[in-house]
Amino acid sequence: MHPGTAVDPGPAGPVTAAAGLLAAAVYLSAAARLRRRGDAWPRWRDASFTAGGASLAWAAVGSSPGGPFTAHMVQHLVAGMFAPLLFVLASPVTLALRALAPGAGRRALLALAHSRGAGWLLFPPLAALLDAGGLWLLYRTGLFATAREVPWLHVLVHLHVMAAGLLFTFSVCGLDPVRRRWSPRLRGAMLLAAGAAHAALARSLYAAGPPGTAFSASDLHTGAQVMYYGGDLAEAALAVVLAGSWYAATGRARTRRARADRNGTGGHAPRRDVKVG
Amino acid sequence: MSAPARPPAVPAARPEQRRSMVVCAVIGAAVMAAVDEIVFHQILGWHHFYDRSTSGVGLLSDGLLHTAELLALVVGFFLFADLRRRRALAPAHARAGFLLGLGLFQLFDGIVDHKLLRLHQIRYGVDVTPYDWAWNLGGLALLLTGVALAVRAARRPGAAE
Repeated sequence: MHPGTAVDPGPAGPVTAAAGLLAAAVYLSAAARLRRRGDAWPRWRDASFTAGGASLAWAAVGSSPGGPFTAHMVQHLVAGMFAPLLFVLASPVTLALRALAPGAGRRALLALAHSRGAGWLLFPPLAALLDAGGLWLLYRTGLFATAREVPWLHVLVHLHVMAAGLLFTFSVCGLDPVRRRWSPRLRGAMLLAAGAAHAALARSLYAAGPPGTAFSASDLHTGAQVMYYGGDLAEAALAVVLAGSWYAATGRARTRRARADRNGTGGHAPRRDVKVG
Repeated sequence: MSAPARPPAVPAARPEQRRSMVVCAVIGAAVMAAVDEIVFHQILGWHHFYDRSTSGVGLLSDGLLHTAELLALVVGFFLFADLRRRRALAPAHARAGFLLGLGLFQLFDGIVDHKLLRLHQIRYGVDVTPYDWAWNLGGLALLLTGVALAVRAARRPGAAE
């Protein structure tokens, strides 16, 4: 394997880019439809989703600086961590449920969001395992070297990185209404576990590249550092989303209780500290 | 949100001393971990990104520590904000907790990471003894200051919760 020979994934790059941009267009039109109807939908969510689609498109067809391993890692970070975060922050399922007219389409989406299968896939430990476990398989077996030679496998690997990243982000953030909402404690613990696995893998890549590849040491070092610090950034952002939504939810609960208390309707709960996960 | 959140119905100013201390200790430990990482790993480059942690366990423990530090910083600040929002922060206990966290992390790093697990040393290629003494005594000084502040905070009038 020569370091310079990156596999040509064929039409997969342009197709992914087009899918990202199309998703953004659909999102924007749905949000516009909501606003025409008189519903409020924050503009920052539009911006977030559009940025997600654009960054995915860039990762799919753009060229990033550095050696081949570094370029791969930049692509991987954007497609597997940052684009999913930008998508998830925009609450796409909530938007779809509001924008779709009552009927078969809306019922199908609701059934999917509340289905047992979705419930299992979004169970945080499973989502973390699919995400971090997939990365360990990719970089610590011959899979990475093979995928650089077999175009369809290359496409499949990228699809998995993207889908698993999306699933994990969705499950940790817990913003959209799905079958079950897990406690911040469990989601935080899984963020910690997946983050630790990610950091450990990045450190090990600094010392030894994926089996069957021969990247230059400087390329390997830069790529591993991109993975390490990029992972930190995404993880800190996820932690802010998680802790921020806990903070907002306890604040709302507190306001509700105070209001009920003022009106003399609230049951007096015993004083108890707020716990966080 | 499934967290059973039951803050007091009336926002009375009632300091939660133990909680203030624990939350700030979490922040303190995370800050010292970040200082260690930024000053020694990145600016001075004394011990680095990847060291002698060749065993899988050492590697994973390092990743866990690093990730935990990042999460603790974020979670700690939100818990701190929650205490302030509820006017439940006890400042004297918070200060004591912060110093206790700083000192505890430094001593843990100096004794467990450096000496027991041997994940990395402070510096390589030199006699490491003075560095070890400086790091561990620094940690001890922070810890003792934290203990002194905690004792003083507990002795304040109306300290019993």
